[in-house]
Amino acid sequence: MKRLVPSAEMTLGPFFPREFAQGANDLTRVEGRQARGEAIEITGRLTQADGKPLDNVVLEIWQADAEGRYDNADFFGWGRAATDAEGVYRFRSVRPGAPAGRAPHVNFLILYSGLMRQLQTVMFFDASPDPVLDAVKPSTLRERLVANRQNNNTYTFDIRLRGEGETPFFDD
Amino acid sequence: MPLRVPPRDPRTQSQGVEPGYAQTAQRWPSQPLQRRPHTVSELSGPSSVLRRLAPVRGDLAGHGAKRAIGQLIHLRTRVVDEDGAPLPGAVVEIWHCNAAGKYIHPNDTHDAPEDPNFYGAARMVAGDGGLVELRTIKPAAYPVPATGGWWRPPHVHFSVWGRVWLSRLVTQMFFPGEPLNEADAILNAIRDPEARERCIARFVPSENDLIYEYQLVVRGRKSTPGMP
Repeated sequence: MKRLVPSAEMTLGPFFPREFAQGANDLTRVEGRQARGEAIEITGRLTQADGKPLDNVVLEIWQADAEGRYDNADFFGWGRAATDAEGVYRFRSVRPGAPAGRAPHVNFLILYSGLMRQLQTVMFFDASPDPVLDAVKPSTLRERLVANRQNNNTYTFDIRLRGEGETPFFDD
Repeated sequence: MPLRVPPRDPRTQSQGVEPGYAQTAQRWPSQPLQRRPHTVSELSGPSSVLRRLAPVRGDLAGHGAKRAIGQLIHLRTRVVDEDGAPLPGAVVEIWHCNAAGKYIHPNDTHDAPEDPNFYGAARMVAGDGGLVELRTIKPAAYPVPATGGWWRPPHVHFSVWGRVWLSRLVTQMFFPGEPLNEADAILNAIRDPEARERCIARFVPSENDLIYEYQLVVRGRKSTPGMP
């Protein structure tokens, strides 16, 4: 079969409809039921090269359920949030279990004006061995992908798009 | 057969920092992107995004007294994967400005009129053959603030879910024959002329309607490498 070239990605632009950006950041609710597992909150601030926080950035996440399974009928592991005027996003979710061959983690995808392509990164809960975390070079950058635990159930994961403390991002 | 997602071809994608688009130099990472192995995590995805996002509006043009101002057009968009296999059931978000160049978004400061009968945002589900058909009006050009004369050509935004997490696609569609296409910093970020040409819709002559066809190719293929 002749291969088709994937479409060129282009920026989300500054005018992604508000109604699309909102209302999908609570993964603990599954068709009116409460998802099984330990409820957590994931929050963080998005900043650009000059340190300015970014408003209206769209973030999407994809994760396993509490048992490490993907796309389970009992847990919908996808969500979307947008940053507020202080650059802060917020997800409610359940702490993912370990998928086969992986440490527990949450995949992040970032869409924004000025980003010509989606940016992908991954949040880990600790620095346990993981084939994706261990692929990050140099190894000193890996700690930037490990969330800070604030209290029992809140994890902070700040994302610096560019500049000092820049988050490692993945190409695929 | 499991899905594979081959690496992006750099000639057919923006490399991030684009001259003529100042925000890219503030926002695209300065460090090379990391390579990673693909595991079940990247090669799975939500089989029905509709469990989280409901379809909204399937017609942006309206009818009668509620008809949006502008040139009525029909967009026929097909969603396929890298094998050319259609994706019926794919969820597609579509948004664009009105016939005066104004978005429904509160951050749009462009001095152009709103149209009370036009709300430029739809979320649709691809039917048989991966086809998404939208009746709408043709969007206008508009100036990008503080850029010294950059006008965006008429364009339509798309956000698409493919088969897996790595298939996610956000892009724009352009119209053929628009003089502003030649200088647009976003369209011309695609260096390969053929790839750039594929970002422009095809006008389909028809007796009664203005029809534009467009193809969205999401990442991922099932066929074996080297097979004909």
